[in-house]
Amino acid sequence: MKKTKGDTREFDLYSPEMARCPQPIYAEMRNTCPVARSTSFGTVTLSRHEDVAAALRNPEVFSSDMDIALALGTERPMIPQQIDPPEQTRYRRLLDPLFSSKRIALLESPIRAHACELIDHVIEAGECEFDKDFAVPLPCTAFLILMGLPEADLDLFLELKDGIIRPPVAKEDFAGAIEYRKKTGQRIYATFEALIDEKIEHPADDVMSELLQAEFEGRALSRNELLDICYLLFLGGLDTVTASLGCSIAHFAANDADRQLIVDDPTRIPAALEELLRWETPVTVVPRLAKRDFEVAGEMVRKDDLVMMLLGAANTDENAFENADSVDLGRTANRHMAFGAGPHRCLGSHMARLELRIGIEEWHRRIPHYAIKTGETPIYSPAIREVTYLPLVWPVSGERA
Amino acid sequence: MKIRIEENLCMGHGRCYDLAPEVFAADEAGHGLVVCDRVPLALADKARLAEQNCPEAAIFIEDK
Repeated sequence: MKKTKGDTREFDLYSPEMARCPQPIYAEMRNTCPVARSTSFGTVTLSRHEDVAAALRNPEVFSSDMDIALALGTERPMIPQQIDPPEQTRYRRLLDPLFSSKRIALLESPIRAHACELIDHVIEAGECEFDKDFAVPLPCTAFLILMGLPEADLDLFLELKDGIIRPPVAKEDFAGAIEYRKKTGQRIYATFEALIDEKIEHPADDVMSELLQAEFEGRALSRNELLDICYLLFLGGLDTVTASLGCSIAHFAANDADRQLIVDDPTRIPAALEELLRWETPVTVVPRLAKRDFEVAGEMVRKDDLVMMLLGAANTDENAFENADSVDLGRTANRHMAFGAGPHRCLGSHMARLELRIGIEEWHRRIPHYAIKTGETPIYSPAIREVTYLPLVWPVSGERA
Repeated sequence: MKIRIEENLCMGHGRCYDLAPEVFAADEAGHGLVVCDRVPLALADKARLAEQNCPEAAIFIEDK
């Protein structure tokens, strides 16, 4: 084994500094300790684009099959996120067509209609709290539309999601959080059990019905397989899109020139969103478990190390992006990994992009001029970079700005 | 200009057919396919844009 200095660094993903402004910390990680071992967290963190990309494309060494799954309240691995190829590949063959960009495009008009409704609720007030009023409900409703579930279930699903993402216990109470997530997980399984029964009785034109009718390896999916897929679709699609919507609007609220650019020419929105996905990288990190000793950038990753892939650091790496430190909405070369890379590329990436584009298009079509409420400061969360508090104001009709 | 997608590297991000639909299409699973044998000069910039935005670096431009 090579002896190198700077192998150990107590990188805390959940620190207040990481929540407030992670990009300088990313740079420091890449430049001073690209393979960072933390004794207190028992993790190894990779931060350079090159290393993260190579590891994500190497599932034989960097496995997704890990006990950390239990932290999300599950009893079994979520399919296909927490299983490895070649089994994972077989599930992706079944699921990828259901989430292809062509299939997801069919959801455009119901999602757009819902985005309009959310804006209708706040536009006359001239202010809102963007997270609660728009960023949270939009993806949750999109999930219900995708699965063919009644909109009346929105509050139930929001509550279940919060039970996993933000269990109502003290920040240091890890055991309490795990316990609460487990309990919530039981409710999630029970909810999907009932919905599956309902869909068996009344199949329709939606993903849930299609999963029920799907042929997998010459048989139908088992009840557990259906539940393990539903659990992932539920958790995967809600807070991540919420986070991206909030980060994007917070950026536009604070940067008039960038906002004006997309208001004047909405065809620039898709590229702008890609750049904000790169810069903000809502899913800042994804974990893997090392299956054997493996050398990364001259340091040894050990068998059974929990390896954190710092996507946010990879996406701001000056060796992979020109002027990596500036937000350039007209950036032409942008190989960001906000949706991961390798065989576990986010299954919902096409759906996320659709929701983001629609959300940002409709918002700026209806409310082109807005700002962060005077005297207020947006609050960001760590790990999943959501703007959990984003108070906005805008001029209403009859008023002068 | 000739362009090629390395199938083993493509993971279905779909950036290529989003950015240059005249040059690329999606298969049923959403993986990219090259649809023109030779990229006409008028589409060369778009093809290059797709190449520069593939997160897996799975697109190769064979002659300039």
